[in-house]
Amino acid sequence: MTTTQAAETDGVDAAHDVVEFLIGQHMQIRDLFTEVEKSTGKARRDAFERLVRLLAVHETAEEQLIHPLVRTGVHGGGDIVDDRLSEEREAKEMLVKLEDVGPDSNQFPLLLAKLRASVLTHAHNEEAYEFRYLRREVAASELQPLVSMVRAAEAMAPTHPHPGVESATANTVVGPVVSLFDRTKDMVRASMSTNR
Amino acid sequence: MTFNPLEQRGIPLDKQLRSWRELDVEPVDPDHSDPYTKCRIITMNGIEIEALLFSHNFARICPDMEVKHKLAEIRYLEQQQQKVVNWLLPGSSSPLETTISYEQVAVDLTAWVARMEPDPYLTQCYEFGVLEDFDHLYRYANLYEMLQHRKAEKIVDQLTEVIPGRPTRYHHRNPIDNVRKPYDRSAAAPISKLHALTILSAEQQTMNFYLNVGPQYMEPIARQLYQEIAMVEEEHVTHYESLLDPGETWWERLVNHEYNECYLYYSFMEQESDRKVKAIWELHLNMELEHLHAACDLMRQHDGRDPAEVLAPELPNVLTFEPNKAYLRELLDTQIDLTTLGTGFVSEAHERFQKMQDAVMGGEDPASDRVIDEHNSVFGTDYRIETEGPHPRPELRQGATSKA
Ligand SMILES: [Fe+2]
Ligand SMILES: [Fe+2]
Ligand SMILES: [Fe+2]
Ligand SMILES: [Fe+2]
Ligand SMILES: [Fe+2]
Repeated sequence: MTTTQAAETDGVDAAHDVVEFLIGQHMQIRDLFTEVEKSTGKARRDAFERLVRLLAVHETAEEQLIHPLVRTGVHGGGDIVDDRLSEEREAKEMLVKLEDVGPDSNQFPLLLAKLRASVLTHAHNEEAYEFRYLRREVAASELQPLVSMVRAAEAMAPTHPHPGVESATANTVVGPVVSLFDRTKDMVRASMSTNR
Repeated sequence: MTFNPLEQRGIPLDKQLRSWRELDVEPVDPDHSDPYTKCRIITMNGIEIEALLFSHNFARICPDMEVKHKLAEIRYLEQQQQKVVNWLLPGSSSPLETTISYEQVAVDLTAWVARMEPDPYLTQCYEFGVLEDFDHLYRYANLYEMLQHRKAEKIVDQLTEVIPGRPTRYHHRNPIDNVRKPYDRSAAAPISKLHALTILSAEQQTMNFYLNVGPQYMEPIARQLYQEIAMVEEEHVTHYESLLDPGETWWERLVNHEYNECYLYYSFMEQESDRKVKAIWELHLNMELEHLHAACDLMRQHDGRDPAEVLAPELPNVLTFEPNKAYLRELLDTQIDLTTLGTGFVSEAHERFQKMQDAVMGGEDPASDRVIDEHNSVFGTDYRIETEGPHPRPELRQGATSKA
């Protein structure tokens, strides 16, 4: 069978504004959930690791770049963003739990299904209540350069959710997921200051 | 198996009313459900909406209070069924994803009906129409990858191919050439009447869906593509509704509607893979059986005829969602150049067709062409799912011009 496709440009490569880019990532996240669910053993651990990393990059980029724009640029933006942040917090907590039990645990499928439902709802809410208004209220010229910042942050984000030497001093109660999100946030901030 | 709806009893009408809690169904999963489960949901939604609209139209010309009451009572139950069925669709799917499923319905439902239809003229009408919805699927799939950066294969799986059909630009015909010749109510096989009603209901709902969701998009190409295809779906409604014999009495039509609902719920119950959805098909079948009996009573009272005269003696072969790839490829090979003239089909671009084309295009390419051009310019090629080899028509193979 031949699925004709444009030189492997599924996802985000062809995106020309940041909303399109983030919607593309939502689709990748959605498909990665399916991949994790359908695989076992090492394949599942790999897919799960990619999922966690993508979630870290994606959520951090939204937190740092998108939510501030919505807060100031969209009517009622403050409350809209607060709703999104509480969804993100809820998802992050689930992610921590999921990582605790690990991909080989028999609790994993149920917890993963819960996380998936929460992340997909969150993504839908962003698209419906944030992105469409962002495009309407914020000039395209302001949205366009954000793509390269998100890309740069993604390239620099840590690959493994396990803390490396650099975070050896970090509080030991902070698990790998939290630490990955923290390190990603630092990367995104760094990328913002060099790209602005 | 013999299942005769006229002999089966269901849930008494006064036991069919549902509360909020019973209406609040859990939707199917947007990514893990069988594509054909979504197709069955979309089909039954279209059927229920037709049941509602038909009943409203009947009520408007009905002077008899008692009949009006009966219609209102059953209609209220039908609209609850519609809510339950359509609310099975997940809220996290975008309208465009649902659109792609709508076209998958149009393709595999119409192809199956065309294969099973005993009347050659009606068969020709379905074969003509299916090549157009087949092309819509291809156009929307390209829009989907542009807007959402995801491949339509994630929605239709590999059950339905996504390749050009009769190019959408050629669907814009003079309205009088969309009116077909009706079947004869006294001579047509009962199954032919059910087929026509089913496809008409599906196309009508598709039209309504597009003309409502189209303007919710912001991207100009999306707005324009929905507008163009919604115009074609209007032509399809005209095409399919004109197959019904206008000489059928209102009572006869009511009975046909209820019988068709029994037929389809029974068919889908037989093949449903999702347990929860299957339970809904079964419940609704048991409701429809009593709608049918009530309709039959009205026909006996007011039409002075026995409904058995117009209905099939037993339920026809179950209507099935399944791949129709080889059949569609054969149609692509032989019927892609057809258009209509009066109630018939011809292969030349006659004067009335040409005039209409010029007027609608106004010298510009339609959105259905531009969506492919734009996809080409972003991705370097168009999007297709070809599971059975290259396109049967060389001029529609990948790399050949989108304008065919
Ligand atoms: Fe997001
Ligand atoms: Fe119904
Ligand atoms: Fe269509
Ligand atoms: Fe259609
Ligand atoms: Fe009914």
